[in-house]
Amino acid sequence: MLKIRAIKLEVNTTSGLFGAEYEFSNGLNIIRGDNTTGKSSLFQSILYGLGFEELLGGKNEKTMQTALKDQVEFPDGKFHLVNQSFVYLEIENKEIVTIKRGITSDSRKPQLVDVFPGALLTGNDKTLPSRPMFVHDKGGASDDIYGFHLFLSEFLDWSLPEVITTKGEMSHLYLQQIAPAFIIEQKSGWSDFFATLPYYPMRNTESRVVEFILDLDVFENQKRKQQLSANKQQINTKWNLLFLQFNKLAEKCGGTLRGLEQNASIINSIGGIYIAMLKNEKEITLTDFNEQQKEELAVLEKQQTTTVGSNINKNEEALKKLTDKLNQLSLNYEMLSPELNYDNEKLKQYTKQLEAVSEDLRKNKGALKVKSLGHELPAETADDSCPACHQPIKDSLLPSEIKQTPMRIEDNVSFLEAQQKMIEVYIKGQEKVIREKEKKLLTYQTQLAETRQEIRDTKKELVQDERLPSVLEIEKRLNLKKKVEFFSKQIEDFTQLIEELKTLSKELENLLTKEKNLPTDFFTLEDRKKLASLYDGFIALLKKFNYQSKPFDAIKISNDNYLPVAEKSLDNGMKLAYNLKFDSSASDFIRCLWSYYTALFKTSVAFKTNHPMLLIFDEPKQQDMAIGNFKSFLSELSQFTEQQVLVFASFENSDDSFKEATQGLKFSLNRIEEKLIKPIS
Amino acid sequence: MEELLIKKLSFTKKPIPLPAEYRPMYKIALIVMILKYSCRAETSNLLKLHLLSWALASQKNMTELRGYVTSNFKSDFSVWGIEPALNRALQLAVAENICDIVNGKNYKLTEKGNKFFEMIKADIELFDIEKSFLTLIGKNTITDSRITSMTQKWNLFYVEN
Repeated sequence: MLKIRAIKLEVNTTSGLFGAEYEFSNGLNIIRGDNTTGKSSLFQSILYGLGFEELLGGKNEKTMQTALKDQVEFPDGKFHLVNQSFVYLEIENKEIVTIKRGITSDSRKPQLVDVFPGALLTGNDKTLPSRPMFVHDKGGASDDIYGFHLFLSEFLDWSLPEVITTKGEMSHLYLQQIAPAFIIEQKSGWSDFFATLPYYPMRNTESRVVEFILDLDVFENQKRKQQLSANKQQINTKWNLLFLQFNKLAEKCGGTLRGLEQNASIINSIGGIYIAMLKNEKEITLTDFNEQQKEELAVLEKQQTTTVGSNINKNEEALKKLTDKLNQLSLNYEMLSPELNYDNEKLKQYTKQLEAVSEDLRKNKGALKVKSLGHELPAETADDSCPACHQPIKDSLLPSEIKQTPMRIEDNVSFLEAQQKMIEVYIKGQEKVIREKEKKLLTYQTQLAETRQEIRDTKKELVQDERLPSVLEIEKRLNLKKKVEFFSKQIEDFTQLIEELKTLSKELENLLTKEKNLPTDFFTLEDRKKLASLYDGFIALLKKFNYQSKPFDAIKISNDNYLPVAEKSLDNGMKLAYNLKFDSSASDFIRCLWSYYTALFKTSVAFKTNHPMLLIFDEPKQQDMAIGNFKSFLSELSQFTEQQVLVFASFENSDDSFKEATQGLKFSLNRIEEKLIKPIS
Repeated sequence: MEELLIKKLSFTKKPIPLPAEYRPMYKIALIVMILKYSCRAETSNLLKLHLLSWALASQKNMTELRGYVTSNFKSDFSVWGIEPALNRALQLAVAENICDIVNGKNYKLTEKGNKFFEMIKADIELFDIEKSFLTLIGKNTITDSRITSMTQKWNLFYVEN
């Protein structure tokens, strides 16, 4: 727990040393001071000592009252200028430390904090060594040696949870974000739940704070889900790599990959994945292709090598056929080649168009966003109404003489999206056409080269000595042998890749099962107990404090942000939840805030969660709350005898009110007489 | 010639698609970002607003202006566009109290304008290209005197010759 043991203010003025010192005990502490005595200065000094002054709406000394930084008024009407001022705060968890932080000082920056390892204020040893640390500057929450808030979270035994920032990165929750759950400030703290939560670019900060305060497991489960999706990402990357390897292999063999999808999926029949080769205008698998080649080779090897002479007639005929083939091939090649150029040019144009449309779309989406932001601002232009004369205007900057009606931005966006999709389809189709033509062209090229070689060889043989053995046949045999070897090697590689694919598919299957097994909502049984206790506590307190604005059964605690909401049933059976603030009278909303923070505290005490076991309220008696209700509130708070509650209140500046509100309650009283900052003799 | 027997012709006006540049709130958002990221004291004269708004209209313009700035204003830079749409957007922005006219000729971001800026800034994805371009240009790069000398050059080349 975080216990505030004592606070001391030291203010050196032009008229000597001023200051104040107060001690606090366990249980309910009431700090009573009439208006303008400096009650809030004392409250704010506690926050300042802890480095939580962001709850007051700023950082460092500028959040503090005049009496602590500019001039002290004592007695009324007489002013003394401040030369230097310090806050000392003695706090306890398992150990006791004292914090010293300067407000005004020539020699020290307000970010500097001294930490003394002991009770500097209430103890006898005034000669403790100190450790300098700093708050708010970069590293204040993370620097191991000098970061005061890192020190404070270790002091409290808090391991702060990681949350996702708006940029999608992970970052630890800050202490000053958790503080609004147990410190409620007077000026804006009573306007809404967690109203003083300082802004950091993080998502759903309130929910993360409540999850941390109540130590809910839901956070762990969400993290697990993120972990799984990261794993999935990895599998997808591996899959893509494998897919590329398969394709490369297919290309090397001059075939096409069939049956494998680009995105990771579970594979049931491995046989469906193969490399298709073209033979005699028909597709066959790589394995079959190689088998046929092997057979051809076997046939050739069995034959006797013939001599040149016996082949003359055959060769002459072959030469004629080969020349015809060559002509046909060259013609095909020359026809296809300009076609391909034309297709490439077309693709370029499509790509340019896509860029233009995408840019336009990006801008339009931006326009749509700022329009809704403008609606929130509010700006009348965003609602198509003239800010000067409040007449309806068109959502366009074209001169008003142009009588065209512009599309609504939403329609414009979908119009562009449709265009974008269409162009993307064109591009995909075009790319496919180009790929196929390129492949065909390549085949023509190799075939051309092969035919030319054959023609050369045939011609060579025709002019050779008739008694020599036929080189042509020997060469054909050798070529075929080489090819068979090459394809056998490729088939081996292919089998290996298939093995890898099998493992990956198995991994994916496991992952998907794990994902399915994640609970759909992430609450554990313990979480539900805590939330039920929060709800019961909240409702019981509302009743006790005499809340009347809504029937109690319409009030729920939201499972998203853990704040109380009012529920309304719509005609279609759906339920609409909205902030309780909108349906509660002003004083009833104060009752909600009392009940919520107290119920949160109560549940935390019962379940021994991360709550610092400290509650600080600055002037909780708001909105002319009846003294009787205020008494119920104080009596509720006085039951936390093991924990610490600090209530700063003025009791309408009246002794009678004070007596009425506190009669019969167990509490410690600190009275601020006359002025908080007084001369110290 | 055959006569056409049409008794009645009627036309329905269909809404037309409009480039984002012509959307009032889009342009106002650009003005707010220009004033905040690229203008000293969140104040600018009209020509500078036109220059930066012109630059933001396309990648090509941005590259051109960036080249001019990074070459320390040595490279060639010709004319930039003046668009009536920006003037209309400025009128709206002033009426919305998003910016004020100071000294009768300069535009300054108001408190409400700053609030709008914070809303735009909070959304990381929104106008990311525009934001980084304007941040690169910065507050102190294109001063009033720079604008004046640019327009003088422009006069010299395009008007007097």
